[in-house]
Amino acid sequence: MKTHWGRLLVVPFAISAVLLVGSQFVFLQQSFYPDLAFGRKAAHWSFANYARILTDPYYLRTLWLTTYISLIVAAACIGFGFPIAKVLARWPSRWTKVLLSTIVLTSFITTVIQIFGLIIIFRADGPVNTALLWLGITERPFQLVGTAGGVIIGLVYASFGFAVMLMYGVVRTIPVSLDEAAAIHGASRRRVLTRVVLPLSLPGLIVGFLTIFNTSMGAFTSAALLGGGRIITLPVLIQRTMLLDVKYGMAGALAALLLLFVIALNFASIAIMRRFRITRMVTV
Amino acid sequence: MGVRDASGAWVSVGQTVPAIATRGSQRALPRLRNALRIALTVAYFALVFTVLLAPLVVVIGGSFSAPANDQVVMSYVQFPPERLTLKWYREIPPPQLQALGFSFALGLAVALGACLVGVPAAIGLVRARFRGRGLVSAIMRAPLQIPHVVAGIAFLQLYYVAGDWCGIYLQGTTAGLFVGHLFLATPFVIGSVAAVLQRFNVRLEEAAHVLGASRWRALRRVTLPVIMPGVFTGALYAFIVSFVDVPVAVFLASADATTFPVELFHAMEQDFNPSSLASASLAAGFAIVLVVLAQRLVGLDSLLKSNTR
Repeated sequence: MKTHWGRLLVVPFAISAVLLVGSQFVFLQQSFYPDLAFGRKAAHWSFANYARILTDPYYLRTLWLTTYISLIVAAACIGFGFPIAKVLARWPSRWTKVLLSTIVLTSFITTVIQIFGLIIIFRADGPVNTALLWLGITERPFQLVGTAGGVIIGLVYASFGFAVMLMYGVVRTIPVSLDEAAAIHGASRRRVLTRVVLPLSLPGLIVGFLTIFNTSMGAFTSAALLGGGRIITLPVLIQRTMLLDVKYGMAGALAALLLLFVIALNFASIAIMRRFRITRMVTV
Repeated sequence: MGVRDASGAWVSVGQTVPAIATRGSQRALPRLRNALRIALTVAYFALVFTVLLAPLVVVIGGSFSAPANDQVVMSYVQFPPERLTLKWYREIPPPQLQALGFSFALGLAVALGACLVGVPAAIGLVRARFRGRGLVSAIMRAPLQIPHVVAGIAFLQLYYVAGDWCGIYLQGTTAGLFVGHLFLATPFVIGSVAAVLQRFNVRLEEAAHVLGASRWRALRRVTLPVIMPGVFTGALYAFIVSFVDVPVAVFLASADATTFPVELFHAMEQDFNPSSLASASLAAGFAIVLVVLAQRLVGLDSLLKSNTR
């Protein structure tokens, strides 16, 4: 009674492989050809584009800016999101469902709409700036568009829901009976949190941090809209190099670097998951 | 002593273990601390969810808000609204409505396409035993690892090269967008279907086969109904991937074929018009309906579990 289930794979695999190899091969290959004017490219391949990225201070600054912004975003998402995820995972109530659906909803709405709302909220005479000025925290209204702070806020909005969902999964994998056991043996709430829940979810949190860091490194929409042409992160630079400067080779090289970076980080998180035997917190 | 602390903890978590008898003034302090802790938790939740939902509320609220007087500049949104109006909904620019319809149709097509590719792929990946299965699985799920901007530029360059080679240029066409989104969306279907399938007991299907159903019939009548929630969740995610995407469509869209998020993206880069708030609210309202429907149909857990971004 042997069925050849493998046959089901043939067509889907062919489609996936053609799309993956085709798309990735072309831009990687193009990235080795230096650009001439008007979208033409040099006749011979070289590492010129890569060499330029790694020596030109403009590109290096962009790389550093993107990394630094993504680190802050990942830390903010994990830090602000963990208490939410922990309580939702440990608090069986009708409200849990409503709140989780709200979290899911925020990731189902295109980032453009959220940024649209943020820009209105952070207008110079909007509620946030009125409050900040009234409290005397700032002397001039906080500018959302065109500042690193604005890009960070936008990226946190874009990733927060996903971060909470990830960490909710992490806390759910820790059996409640462990909390109960610790409590019965006299641990206070604080000690249950710091000695049981936090240590057990730490590997998951590290993986979550890397995942959010990764998505922030590659996040385009909020960075493009809130950067306002002044704060230019790597994904925005890739889009501008491709569509405004029409430098396909250089855009390809930048994209290749981003891809390499993201894949390296993914391998790091897979290694962490293996090391700590995290069982499928997300079904990838 | 510790037991009392712990019992205080139990009650507030909503567990059924009753507080162990502790009476009078001894109980007052932990109670107070408990109340304080709950108050702080509620306050924190209220703060975070307010902040999280504020942009959405402002967009939807602003879309119904009338200008304070008729001479007021177009670019100003009164929030909270002083007077309600449907003016902005009547004035949604036709390209935005068109883009909304286009995005909807594209999302449906992508969801369907992703299921046609992803469901057999998931069954094959879970059931087949052969050498190199890990590699095949990795290749089919690889799009999840690729930043969307990279996918966007990769497909644009692929279309240029393929066009030079065979004369059919896909950039700026519906087909080009469909292929790009299909690439991103298929792994979500594979992930959610495989997750359900791994929990499915193959013996049920074998029993049907032994009782005389053909292999195909057993698969169709026994297994498919069981994995339907997985298929549905995957299709939903595939739809959403296409419906909210900017970084891929910004490269592949054109004036003839443009999705709603890209249309809104360009509208925001240029000038501000409150009727964009109206179209954005329509899209957001649609997403809300989708989440509610999905929760009714497959349940929240299934949604959360197969979130494979």
